Amino acid sequence: MAAVSFQEIRKDFGKTKVLHGISLDIADGEFMVLVGPSGCGKSTLLRMLAGLEDISGGRIAIDGRVVNDVESKDRDIAMVFQSYALYPHMTVRENMAFSLLLRKDPSSLIDERVNRTAGILNLTPYLERHPRELSGGQRQRVAMGRAIVRDPKVFLFDEPLSNLDAKLRVAMRAEIKALHQRLKTTTVYVTHDQVEAMTMADRIAVMNDGRIEQLGRPLELYDRPANLFVAQFIGSPAMNVFDGVMKNNSVYGLGTQWPIPAGTTAVEGQKVKYGIRPEHLALGDGSVAAEVVVVEPMGAETELLVKVQEQAFTVVSHGRSSAGPGDRVILAPSAQNAHLFDAASGLRIA
Amino acid sequence: MKRVTREAFLVLMAIPILLWSLLPIYHIFLFSISSKDSAFSGALWPDHPTLRGFGTIARQEHFYLHHFWIQIWNSLWIAVAAGVLTLAIATTAAFAISRLKVKGGRSVMNLALFTYFIPAAFLAIPMYKAMGAYGLLNNRWSLVLAMVTLAAPYAIWVLKQASDKLPFELDEAARIDGATPLQLFRLVYLPLMTPSMVAIGTYALLLAWNEYLYGYLLLSHEQTITLAVALGHFIAADDSPWELLMATGLVYALPPAAIYYAFRRYMVSGLTSGAVKA
Repeated sequence: MAAVSFQEIRKDFGKTKVLHGISLDIADGEFMVLVGPSGCGKSTLLRMLAGLEDISGGRIAIDGRVVNDVESKDRDIAMVFQSYALYPHMTVRENMAFSLLLRKDPSSLIDERVNRTAGILNLTPYLERHPRELSGGQRQRVAMGRAIVRDPKVFLFDEPLSNLDAKLRVAMRAEIKALHQRLKTTTVYVTHDQVEAMTMADRIAVMNDGRIEQLGRPLELYDRPANLFVAQFIGSPAMNVFDGVMKNNSVYGLGTQWPIPAGTTAVEGQKVKYGIRPEHLALGDGSVAAEVVVVEPMGAETELLVKVQEQAFTVVSHGRSSAGPGDRVILAPSAQNAHLFDAASGLRIA
Repeated sequence: MKRVTREAFLVLMAIPILLWSLLPIYHIFLFSISSKDSAFSGALWPDHPTLRGFGTIARQEHFYLHHFWIQIWNSLWIAVAAGVLTLAIATTAAFAISRLKVKGGRSVMNLALFTYFIPAAFLAIPMYKAMGAYGLLNNRWSLVLAMVTLAAPYAIWVLKQASDKLPFELDEAARIDGATPLQLFRLVYLPLMTPSMVAIGTYALLLAWNEYLYGYLLLSHEQTITLAVALGHFIAADDSPWELLMATGLVYALPPAAIYYAFRRYMVSGLTSGAVKA
């Protein structure tokens, strides 16, 4: 187990700058998720930590030791790849034992570790099979077993669940989280899926365009997004956002008046982006007239796509709704849960 | 129903192709079991079929066959050496270019292709001069080296294409698992490349086994020539022993056929792998 530290990390591919000075400290035993749209540099950052990419600038330290010029194999890390990258010609047992064999552990120790890891991951019946004889979920577990068996200082996961179907993904998500709670190994997990990030992380670093937009605990990011990008990236369905102007201590937009949280520092006449999450728009008893476009009953809750003037909104209401397409409804935005962002900079207005 | 029609069509196609390719072989066989005087009778089956020719060969009882066993041994030795050497060179080159991504790899690939702009026959005389300069003439190694020179570019090309298709994450996983490049090569790369390597090794082996021109130029002593060259000598006589030539030819064709049969599983997949992007 070890802390990981990125200091002013930069990465250029020729003239293209991929990372613009990332600094991030990951505590010992922490589950850190790097999340962001594709091309934001999250995988590159992970691969630099793994030693698979050169570092153009800055320093990476694992457990206090700067590893910039240390080979992958000497960094004491283990990585789970999106494609699993299992050795196709080796059995599950051989796949898991490979790294131990290379570091010349005694065979009794190798056997013991492989068997114990297989036990943890329910892979014992499959130890003598080849990867091609396994299902996607089992392969995923072998890939994790290969990482666990080494007892490394840091686990690296590069989008490990994206090749699985939705149901299995949810199951594996829980499995990885449970595993982390059991092993308490420092983990860096890359994903583009904000749901994975929210459900698994101790802390999330939201990345965009080679920078960290915000770093924080999942619910911190959800409740107080630092800027428009994080606000719209975190949360599903996404936050509703539209343009407005500060007037008489509320926001005017889409031809009506929207309530704002108490104590905001926005000034009269300031152009803002008004953000409100779908679950913070109640149906009925409010000030905003809307027309229902689509109703999606999910059982426990109902998702409605509505229009205020020409702007589409998503509304999530608990329980069932009797509204149908074409119906006119009144929305009641929750003032305390509304978010204000400066229209020009996109930054949160406290 | 559609499947049946398709199968029937394929069978109809296969019959003429099969006849086309087997007919010459049948005639070689016919020659080899005929006696000398009936060889040219034109019958589809000899009146008195005999296997005497094969006995003559085995006992080296004819002027042209006095060194049969040493010559077939030469053929075998040279073919195997050429196959192994080509494979060693091409596999390591493909690994370096495709997996280790060494600088200049692309240029090597282009040069490899470039060599095929010059027909092999044009290179025969320069090669003869070169071998002479190094004192290798009439040495089995001269033909081995010549064959490796001719086979290696294609072999590198095919193996490079094939290894490009192995997922690169495997190398990265192995690196993180602690493998050195050499361990990566031995423990991950070689096992996964086996099918392509069998195909390419066989290709080089058969290229050398079947080679006539270079063998004829580079080797000249009865004891050092390959069977292919020795077979050529048969025709030098006014009165060629056709039935023995054909019988020897048949014996000569057996090892390649056996190799093809043994490795047929790898042949199709190996030779086509790398041809198209999967």
